[in-house]
Amino acid sequence: MKPESGAESESVPESVPEPVPGPVSAVRYALGVLGLLLIGIGGRHLASQPDPYDVLVWLGGALVLHDGVLAPLVLAVGLLVAAVPARRVVRGALVTGGALVLVTLPLLLRPGVPPNPSALPLPYARNLLLLLAVVTGVTVVWVGLTRLRWRGTPGVRDKRAMSSEVDSRAPEGREPDSQAPPEG
Amino acid sequence: MGSRIGRRLHVPAFRLPAPLPRLPALRPPASSGRLHDPRTATAIGRWLGVALAVCFLTGLISHFLQNPPGWLAGYLPSRPVWGYRLTQGLHVGVGLAAIVLLLAKLWAVYPRLFVWPPVRSVMHGLERLSVAVLVASGVFQVLTGLLNIAEWYPWPFSFVPVHYAVAWIVAGSVLLHLAVKAPEIRAHWGRRSADTLTLPDARRDGPDRRALLIGVGSAVGAVTVTTVGQSFTPLASLDLLAPRHPGYGPQGLPVNRTAAAAGVTEDGLRGWYLEVLGPAPFRLTLDELRTLPQVGARLPIACVEGWSVDARWSGVRIRDLMARAGALPGSGLRVVSLEVRGAYRVMEMGREYAQDPLTLLALRLNGEVLSADHGYPARIIAPNRPGVLQTKWVTRLEVL
Repeated sequence: MKPESGAESESVPESVPEPVPGPVSAVRYALGVLGLLLIGIGGRHLASQPDPYDVLVWLGGALVLHDGVLAPLVLAVGLLVAAVPARRVVRGALVTGGALVLVTLPLLLRPGVPPNPSALPLPYARNLLLLLAVVTGVTVVWVGLTRLRWRGTPGVRDKRAMSSEVDSRAPEGREPDSQAPPEG
Repeated sequence: MGSRIGRRLHVPAFRLPAPLPRLPALRPPASSGRLHDPRTATAIGRWLGVALAVCFLTGLISHFLQNPPGWLAGYLPSRPVWGYRLTQGLHVGVGLAAIVLLLAKLWAVYPRLFVWPPVRSVMHGLERLSVAVLVASGVFQVLTGLLNIAEWYPWPFSFVPVHYAVAWIVAGSVLLHLAVKAPEIRAHWGRRSADTLTLPDARRDGPDRRALLIGVGSAVGAVTVTTVGQSFTPLASLDLLAPRHPGYGPQGLPVNRTAAAAGVTEDGLRGWYLEVLGPAPFRLTLDELRTLPQVGARLPIACVEGWSVDARWSGVRIRDLMARAGALPGSGLRVVSLEVRGAYRVMEMGREYAQDPLTLLALRLNGEVLSADHGYPARIIAPNRPGVLQTKWVTRLEVL
């Protein structure tokens, strides 16, 4: 997929970091030109729509919806999660639960009756709650087991304490993990 | 919390040509979060790249099967039998996964939205513009796709041509983005790549990044497992959140368009006969059709919206009907439905489909006479074919 996939080993000897943007090779040029070409094809298809401006409004709306609503919301949740113990597992659970909610929302919010009895036939609200309960259950068990294991091996706790000390000395005093990953 | 929100934006891993100037108070909302770095972006981005590539290619396959240019129509293959089922199941399944990956990727790079100064040079401005196009078209594409499978169309435009057009824009923006970011991607490709190791907080962030990637992976897995059963029927019992479920529908098989929606009524079917036009045209009543040699075939009905189900069909081979009408070898076929409304009333199939021994004018489904919603009295069923082109309520065949 990406032409630089095999480049990991090559990039190691380059101890001097490349400036960004790096040297523009012929391959990069070709890739960029091909990209512009495909964008052009898409633009031409869009322009042939009866009202392309409607689409532009929705494209802009998608940008605003993500950058202005969804992303800040997720970052705000992240601020809350930062203080939670076992934050790594908790945010994994939040990402998973959030993704399940997101793909189910259109099925729950869709106005009107489905066009035929075989479309949207399942009890989605019930199923979603069930799945969220499973995610919560797995998370609780996971965290509990991890706690038990720590208690069994005291050295682990010490190591973690040490690493959090390192955290507190990080530049600008940033606290560890002040944010959770995206929800969806 | 309040003080943290007010803190300056800190973007640890992005190398800028000069130290950031002290920022004025009107800076946008601050973030001191971690993992907003090129290594995280690369690790998630490459999976997103694969997902978008799969969606684009499978979408193209469907587009060309449904709208073949004239020179291609005769060569479209009718095999493998499960071809359309696989590609469109992938299109929707991977598209759902791409929602998670896209949002995770955008989360990782979100602070770059607020780089200061917003535009450093013409090139920088163009690069930001291309990223805006990528984000807008990417979010638009997964959002419209998600709403489409829920049969929800809140927009004023037509879904199919617009989803197709924007697919090209997404694909092009991704390639352009790869070209622009190639050095950064290469430098952060692996856990131990040179620039990954020199990221600020590299040692501390490693375990957290791994946890994040596992979290994103588990989200993708959860979404996939709870929806893929709508096309991958062995997992049907885990299909809890998909818009379709194999087994829900008339005769145990989903439909997209009912007889009522198509305007096909009992009155309209009274006195039905099949007309076959060609060098030697003829007509058959339903009883006459039933006396012709019946062929059974196990074929999937596969929708572009991702769901698909295998079923047992039986009826008369299309190629037998065409031969009887005097069709020359290599002829295509036009199929006309009784439906009064709809873009798929008239359908054409190329010679590969028309000559395939599994392409039937089906009269029965899973051993029963077709129900009205499945196209009574007769419908087309062919291998490797989009569901919308499996024409129902057939009234006329025209040899081309």
